Amino acid sequence: MLLNRTSQRTRHEFETLALPHLDGLYAAALRLTKNPRDAEDLVQDAVLRAYRFFDKFERGTNIKAWLYKILTNTFINRYRRVTKERTIVEDERDSVQDRLVSRDAADQAEDPERAYFDRLLSDDVLRAVDSIPIDFRMTVILADLQDFSYKEIADILDVPVGTVMSRLFRGRRLLQKQLQEYAAASGVLQSGRDSGSIEPDASIDLETWRRKHGRA
Amino acid sequence: MTRGAKAEMNFDCGDVERLLEPYLDGEFDVAERAGLEDHLSTCARCRHAVAEAMSFRSAFRAKLREATAPGTAAGTAPDSLRRRISESLDGEQSPALSWWRRLLTPLPVGALAACVAGALVVFAGHRSTDLLIEDAVRKHARDLPLELSAASVAPESIPGLLASKLDFNPRPPTFQARSGVRLVGARLAQLREWPAAYMGYQTPQGQVGLFIIDDPERRVGEPGHEVRAGSATIRVINARGYNVAVWRRDEIVYSLVTDLDEADLVRLVETAQGAER
Repeated sequence: MLLNRTSQRTRHEFETLALPHLDGLYAAALRLTKNPRDAEDLVQDAVLRAYRFFDKFERGTNIKAWLYKILTNTFINRYRRVTKERTIVEDERDSVQDRLVSRDAADQAEDPERAYFDRLLSDDVLRAVDSIPIDFRMTVILADLQDFSYKEIADILDVPVGTVMSRLFRGRRLLQKQLQEYAAASGVLQSGRDSGSIEPDASIDLETWRRKHGRA
Repeated sequence: MTRGAKAEMNFDCGDVERLLEPYLDGEFDVAERAGLEDHLSTCARCRHAVAEAMSFRSAFRAKLREATAPGTAAGTAPDSLRRRISESLDGEQSPALSWWRRLLTPLPVGALAACVAGALVVFAGHRSTDLLIEDAVRKHARDLPLELSAASVAPESIPGLLASKLDFNPRPPTFQARSGVRLVGARLAQLREWPAAYMGYQTPQGQVGLFIIDDPERRVGEPGHEVRAGSATIRVINARGYNVAVWRRDEIVYSLVTDLDEADLVRLVETAQGAER
């Protein structure tokens, strides 16, 4: 009976801290796995793992980041192998064509078509997120859906902050490109419009920039 | 990050293009933000680029949130998942429980028998117990304020107040008058994952702290070495320069953290134990 009391206390504490994040964890898992059944399995596995390691969780620290770290690790270790998603190459300077945007578009400031994204459909946004490579997708989900900072994302995914920036940069460009294609397909945006690209060796790493400017 | 003066933060169009994302993500420090915004104030092209990126981002984020809002299929954990999680937690030992089981494994049979007999001290040697003691020393050394000050609350009411918050009755010892020990106050504490009561005492040799935890499962191991203190057997451990006396009374484990030498510590515990009996 006394034994149960202790374990009930631990469980109660765990549920109080972890369960408020369940909807968010499931939303992220659904984007990672792209299907409800795998998402449920992933979240269940991650929550169970979190519970098993709950004595390792330092009370008072960021439970949300801790849970997402377990979720992404569980995903990487288990589900990603099964789904055999294409793994991106770490040298993210190779693919010039993904680097859309901005100069030409900026010159077309008055073009009414530019507001295509004001007419985005939420289903299209989910479809676009699901379409980008998994490493970009994970980063975009953590930043744009879960509002983690670069530093938190770096800790969660165990990568340098520079990699987080680079993945966000490319991930968002790919998203934008994808959404433009949807808009073109539905007639909201004329097809064939290319926003141009930025130079392939453009550095996008704030840390590098800071070092160059003697600020880090 | 704010080391550079604003004047040094000269952004050109290339910098803006490259660093738009961290800028919009709020990763810039004050000087960098000011530098980039200085550039924007003089460059219409970059202003447009920033405005467009901002519009895209806010439209994208708004739609993403809308698509995953509470109540939507994409943003709500299904009831089936909640049920599965609850069931799988039912089938799981609590983390604390597995910890005590690991602890109990090396416990000698003789010691187990002593536990059952209600002997004063039964300890199993285990690193986790050392960590518990270290945590007690660390928290004692922090000298946190005592919520229940003996100056403002009747000292005799303190055990009852603690018991009402703790889910167990800490039953702190009373020290014999000859010991010169005076209760200063108490507070709720935590030793690793264990809820604990902490009692602060003033002794003629200085301040000591007593942690009291509920250990019905006898998870606490066998730290330090065994010493007789009057009619009781206690364990004495030196951790981080503090001498700690640990003893058990039924389900309750007491850890007295002091900077007394061992002889003085044992004498102090004798006066407490004497008061108990």
